[in-house]
Amino acid sequence: MKNRTYYQLVGIFTLFNAFLSLGQATTKKVEFVGAARSEMSQLGLSTAATVNDTITPGKLSSGHALIDLGVKITPNSSTEILGMIRINNAFGGFWGSGVTFDVRQLYVRGVVANAFRYQIGNIDYKLSPFTCFNHDADRLIPVTGVQRIKQDIVDYETFHTKNNTWRQQGAAVDFGVNFSKFVESIKFNGFIMRLNPSNLGNVFERFYGGGNMIVTQSKYFSVGINHASAFDLIGSATTANAYRNNVSTVTYQLTGATKKWKAQLAGETGISSSFYTNTTENTLSDFFVDGKLSIAHKPTKLRADVGYLNVGADFRSIGAQSRRVDFSRQNTVYERYTNDQVVRPLSTYDLFQNNVLYNNSIAPGLAKHNVAYNNVLPYGKATFNRKGVYTSVGFTDSTGIINAQVDGYFLSEIRGQGTLNLRKFAMVKAVSAVNVHKLLKWKKDVVFTAGAAFQETKRSSDFVFERIQLASLLYNAGIDLEFADQFHLMLGINCFQVKGNESVADRDENDVVVNFNEIHLNGNERIYSTGVKYDFSDKIFLTAMVDWFDFNYQDTTPYKMNQFMIIYSMKF
Amino acid sequence: MKTIFISLTVLLTLFIASCRKDEINKFDGPSLAENYGKFAIIDSLAVSRDSVDFSAGETVYFTAAVNKTSDWKIKITGMSSGAVKEITGLGKDITLNEATWNGSISQFPMFKSEWCSVQLTFTGEDDTLNKMVKVIQPKVNQGYVITDFESGLNSGWGSFIQSGADMDFQIHTDNFAPQQNAYLNMAGTVNWDWLIGMFNFKASADGHVVFPLNANPNALYFNAMVYGEPGLINSLVLFRFQEDENADGTFTAASEDEYAYQVTVNWVGWKLISIKYADIESLVNGSPVLPNGNQTHNPDKISQVDMLHLANPNSGFASAKVDYLIFTENTPLIP
Repeated sequence: MKNRTYYQLVGIFTLFNAFLSLGQATTKKVEFVGAARSEMSQLGLSTAATVNDTITPGKLSSGHALIDLGVKITPNSSTEILGMIRINNAFGGFWGSGVTFDVRQLYVRGVVANAFRYQIGNIDYKLSPFTCFNHDADRLIPVTGVQRIKQDIVDYETFHTKNNTWRQQGAAVDFGVNFSKFVESIKFNGFIMRLNPSNLGNVFERFYGGGNMIVTQSKYFSVGINHASAFDLIGSATTANAYRNNVSTVTYQLTGATKKWKAQLAGETGISSSFYTNTTENTLSDFFVDGKLSIAHKPTKLRADVGYLNVGADFRSIGAQSRRVDFSRQNTVYERYTNDQVVRPLSTYDLFQNNVLYNNSIAPGLAKHNVAYNNVLPYGKATFNRKGVYTSVGFTDSTGIINAQVDGYFLSEIRGQGTLNLRKFAMVKAVSAVNVHKLLKWKKDVVFTAGAAFQETKRSSDFVFERIQLASLLYNAGIDLEFADQFHLMLGINCFQVKGNESVADRDENDVVVNFNEIHLNGNERIYSTGVKYDFSDKIFLTAMVDWFDFNYQDTTPYKMNQFMIIYSMKF
Repeated sequence: MKTIFISLTVLLTLFIASCRKDEINKFDGPSLAENYGKFAIIDSLAVSRDSVDFSAGETVYFTAAVNKTSDWKIKITGMSSGAVKEITGLGKDITLNEATWNGSISQFPMFKSEWCSVQLTFTGEDDTLNKMVKVIQPKVNQGYVITDFESGLNSGWGSFIQSGADMDFQIHTDNFAPQQNAYLNMAGTVNWDWLIGMFNFKASADGHVVFPLNANPNALYFNAMVYGEPGLINSLVLFRFQEDENADGTFTAASEDEYAYQVTVNWVGWKLISIKYADIESLVNGSPVLPNGNQTHNPDKISQVDMLHLANPNSGFASAKVDYLIFTENTPLIP
């Protein structure tokens, strides 16, 4: 028996070596890519002594090691195949229990006839902010310091890229044509995604497809046509009432420049329709206009934008309005607390570290949002029923010391909710980063980052029950101090406070408003964190960090959480 | 050229934005003024007729109007029978479409020829509106009535009643009846046998060879009203349906189908039990078995319906009441 196991191990090892040798011998025919991560955590929750809680455990320990092992095969110069599996081993598992194997990514991509690029399988895709775009509506300002590490892990786990793409399964193709006269180039992009399979009953096979054509006349002018459609495949279900959502837009960009100034006018305008094929009920159609004028002063690196946004109350675009965070979900850690086992409400702290709260699918229906966290543009720029102006002023120091930007949105509803009086929205957010080491000419990094976002929602009325006054403030600051070669000390604070009332629309399965829930909010959340990180390289680090979180809302049992974590992460 | 282009684009953007249809007089969802404003009666409760003959197919409807969307409830109570019918809805206007009454009930007993009070209330509001309406004749249910005990015991029926203690196996006539005035009481203590008593309702007692029922077992429902006594859950009421498949005028247990429906009376008060005839199985000691005949439900061949009151002999006194045994077509009885 022992000999048999020995020979099996030797065989597997030999095969693996042979496979590696093949990869090395045939340069880049086979590459291993992926990431590995190990986490150990001890999380604690406590409530005030006056709160009756003898049920909730004070501390929870957990940990796991995982590897996302991808094999990238390049059978020829124009084809690439990637298959990535995840092996996850929860600490505490015994004799293989707690080990899971999942397929994380699979795709084939390549070039046909040196002209058409294609990708089939898992695709990360976006089109334009009003057609197919993964708005990160609940992250008003960048996360700083230690929390950034956790947020990066959540982003990785939820396939969120900085490009606001959706990770879906389907196919994408693009190609372009260059011209010598009149028009510089025309680029075409197309995609098709399978959003959900049929259940061979009353659920349709649903697809989402579209594309765009961008005509670049010169570096001064380009115009594009975009279209995205979600559609149920008639015949794939026993019912005949199929869903349709069509969005067609025109994008444009005009650029002008002198030696000192650069100006750009860019925007997107389009229409949408959303309906079921066998009924005229709940049919919605509307249009939107978004235009922005940007001016940059080259010598001072100052830039300013002013834009106008007008998105109809019935504008629906499932590729742009599907939300990342789904506030109808519940926490998976400390889901309930107190002796009454009440559900622990979602907090900013959970958003940093619980990827279960994030939605990866494009789907019809307006997912719930949290009016405290983002009431101005809960569906990003594609938020329906908004009109008004927005502006931005930014500055990037040429020496790289300071980078700062202030954005402001001053919007109102187009159509009232439950009343003819309209809500007015204001949001001002500012972010800055100061590279102190450059200012002081130190060799080791000292980076200070800070941000703040203020939101206000108001509705005036002669009737008290129609009045709304809700204000929230989110601010954070962090410092990353490299105190020895590649050793970083990180400190961070993230605070949120909200006060006021809102009338939250209660929608039925067709998103028709059927009622309003009056809510009153008065609370604050604070996260203090610190940690030490050692960078082995740009892609490998080891960190130990501690967080203290304080959740205190009126009408909700306050609690505190703390967490100690050790994370080892590498990408290859 | 560029300036013209930019100007044109800005103008076009503003032009498109200005094209938005007028939303000034529209809003999404229910009016907040309706939801949170002060409640007021616009039109008081009205009845479409003072008296109604449900047996002739007449109906009566109620109207009222309030200033805000409200949960409303109309409660009709029989002054003599105590029968209750409730109609509920959500809205500002109560009209023919929402509040028409065809003589049916929400809870037993059933209405009689009587005066009824009509009360309209609104959830969360103090206002109560009242009216009266007279039922000339109650609703007549479509179907074949095996018995409602109003005419006493039929001499054509068979019966067997044990001689136990505290036996009361007879028709009572009082206001306790869920339908009209009479019902059958079945009570007693039999400590040597499960059977307390039984009745055999024969088609011949009604002048038929077999009951004149629909031949389709999927379109025929058997209904009965059964009363469970407070504190007693030991009663079993067993209905047996004997099919004279060979039409010889006699049911032969060894070669013809008998289907049975056993009801465990574990509730308190009157309850309507309904079952599709096709769903009734053949039972021996409460367990399903294959019937002895053609093994096909033939409701048009039922020659006799037996009703047995059973109880575990060790369980002591058992009591149940029954009324209004009726076959209906296509749907269960809607009293």
